[in-house]
Amino acid sequence: MGTMAFGRSGASTAGWTRRRARFAGTAHWLLVPALAFTLALVVFPFGYTFWLSLNDYQFGHSARFNFGENYAALLHDAVFWQGLGTTFFLYFLSLALQLVLGTYVGLLLNRRLYGQTLARTILMSPFMMPSVVIGMMWLVILDPSLGAANYILGLLGLPPSQWLASPGLVVPVIALIDTWQWTPFVALIIVGGLQALPIEPFEAAFIDGATRWQAFRYVTLPMLRPTLLTAAILRSVDLLRFFDIIYITTQGGPGNASTTLNIYAYRRGFEFFDIGYASAIMIALMALVAIVVLALMRLRRSL
Amino acid sequence: MTGTGRIGSALLAAGIALAVGSWCGAARAAGDTVDWKRFNGQTITFLSSNHPWAQAVLKRLDQFTELTGIKLRVDTFQEAQMRDRLMTVLQSRSSDVDLFMSLKSREGLLFANAGWYADLRPLVNDPKLTASSYDLADFSPALLKAEEFKGKLAGIPLNIEGPVLYLRKDIFARCKLAEPTALAQLPDIAAKLKACDPSITPFVSRGAKGALAYTFSNFLHNLGGDYFDAAGKSNLCSAPGKQALQLYADLLKNYGPPGVVNYSFLQIREMYGQGRAAMAFESSNEFGPIMQFPGRTKDSDVTLLPPGPGGVSRPTVIGWGISMSAFSQDQGPTWYFIQWATSPAMQTALALDGIAPPRVSIANSAEYKAWLAAEPVRQEWSKSLDTMARTGTSEVGPPMEQQPEARDILGDELQQMILGQVNADQACAAADKQIDALVVREQHH
Repeated sequence: MGTMAFGRSGASTAGWTRRRARFAGTAHWLLVPALAFTLALVVFPFGYTFWLSLNDYQFGHSARFNFGENYAALLHDAVFWQGLGTTFFLYFLSLALQLVLGTYVGLLLNRRLYGQTLARTILMSPFMMPSVVIGMMWLVILDPSLGAANYILGLLGLPPSQWLASPGLVVPVIALIDTWQWTPFVALIIVGGLQALPIEPFEAAFIDGATRWQAFRYVTLPMLRPTLLTAAILRSVDLLRFFDIIYITTQGGPGNASTTLNIYAYRRGFEFFDIGYASAIMIALMALVAIVVLALMRLRRSL
Repeated sequence: MTGTGRIGSALLAAGIALAVGSWCGAARAAGDTVDWKRFNGQTITFLSSNHPWAQAVLKRLDQFTELTGIKLRVDTFQEAQMRDRLMTVLQSRSSDVDLFMSLKSREGLLFANAGWYADLRPLVNDPKLTASSYDLADFSPALLKAEEFKGKLAGIPLNIEGPVLYLRKDIFARCKLAEPTALAQLPDIAAKLKACDPSITPFVSRGAKGALAYTFSNFLHNLGGDYFDAAGKSNLCSAPGKQALQLYADLLKNYGPPGVVNYSFLQIREMYGQGRAAMAFESSNEFGPIMQFPGRTKDSDVTLLPPGPGGVSRPTVIGWGISMSAFSQDQGPTWYFIQWATSPAMQTALALDGIAPPRVSIANSAEYKAWLAAEPVRQEWSKSLDTMARTGTSEVGPPMEQQPEARDILGDELQQMILGQVNADQACAAADKQIDALVVREQHH
């Protein structure tokens, strides 16, 4: 303020301040629609879910406040802990695959290649497709008796696989489907990051005799780190609340092998009518997403 | 839903009464006091599942609009999504949905206890709103009983369905095998089919955990078992319970397709329809779609699941109903739609589309008889449905309000057996323990 007032007469400073004050008043009013929107669509649903999570509330019966009994029950619920493990396993596996492959595809797309536009269009198509279509498509391809995947394995002389019907394979297979869908999205972010990089460090590296790998490892990668973290944050939010493809392909099975926390909450709420408990699971999941995203953002800021 | 629907002689009596009754009804219809244009211009909302019944009815919607001038807004979803939307609407006591399809054997008790069904009886009994030819008594008594809760009529039956055994008689003949006449023969026959033609899946039924109670229940009941004992405790560890678990899991594990733990009606229909399975135990509802695959009409037999020891046969029989929301603001026009969709004329038309009719008189109609007579397999299908209606039980899982969760518990344990992770003793003990805990929790509410 002091620098702003520099060289002005006292009267005009007072006028400026008044105009600022008036503007600030108007600005507050201009914020009202945004605040009302946030309250109605973010704070209220979150608050209501939290309130539900503190109740014993079954569809068809009235709610009964039960002092956090739902949260205590979570601690002893084997399916919840298994779901937490599945959620994390799926998260780490998918994220690692998508970041590595996304970077690789991003580097390829960043080069001037013949047919690049066509390649980009084809590569971008999976994440533009609705997840329901993708789920149904892979369900048919991976069907152990009717699908193309085992037919191809057979042609290669390999034994057939149970794919989504195998408790041990189901999560990695779902991670692969998600990777197939979302790697191009990560690649697109990486291309954006690569194009924003300065050219000088690369020139310096090559003058110093660096190999391509060394240039990638010690120049590109460190400079890309903020971009990679942005991609990681965006994918983390989606992956931790993974739902659609699992719901379409396995509904959490076989057994509970692919039951993530989101699937578990859905089933408890809408299939078993246990809304209070389902809300407690959702609050736990929300906390988990918030912690991971905050940690990643902190890491990004510290760079 | 607790009702075990034995209708026996009542069905026969109703059949005879109705041969005459339908004629009388038609005669009385001339003097109907119903003003079909009474609700002209009003709009009602129907929340529908993509069930063959709904598809067949909605194909004829123009006739309803022409008759009544009522506009029907239709929201169609997959069954599970329909239920999600329905529960949300009903829980919030919203009038957004006027009528919906409801499976009473699954959610009937919960919905009735919550007061979500409108009582249709006053509407049926009102001569100003219901045509004299409507004839509620024409419906199969077992199905009508399944729609009643504490004296209130919660819905009108739409169809009758239950699992039946689809058999490829050409494969049986080629392998020189007789079709099964007892439940205990199934593993042996499946083994011989496997040896005779390894490219064919000998037996397929539901393995998906939320779906398998529908087919497993028939095994349990034919072996003389019940979900609950006399004291109301889960009874899967009884001798028949363990036998049923073992037989069902063995058949799917040893003779079913790989990946059967994800199989529900869709996969089974495709597999049998494409000619890749010799036996499929699946809903009678799939008859229409299955028979559309080339060759299946001529090479298939349809029968009930073979009886257990002592000739015990208690087939599973259920029916969908159409219900009105207790919160509907337009009960009159909604009832007009229900009445039209479940009228004798409409149900006759639907029967020819392969929707098994819940009205007894239709089985006696000349049109339907001619349709059945055209193919032997249609007669077998109809005969199975008839026996099912007379001797079946609608117990598709532990009879309790939290039935979906109880079915899920059973499904989970049975899946583990199919995957070879646990044996029958472990599975039944775990299931009994969890279901009993669920009963306690339910009583707590």
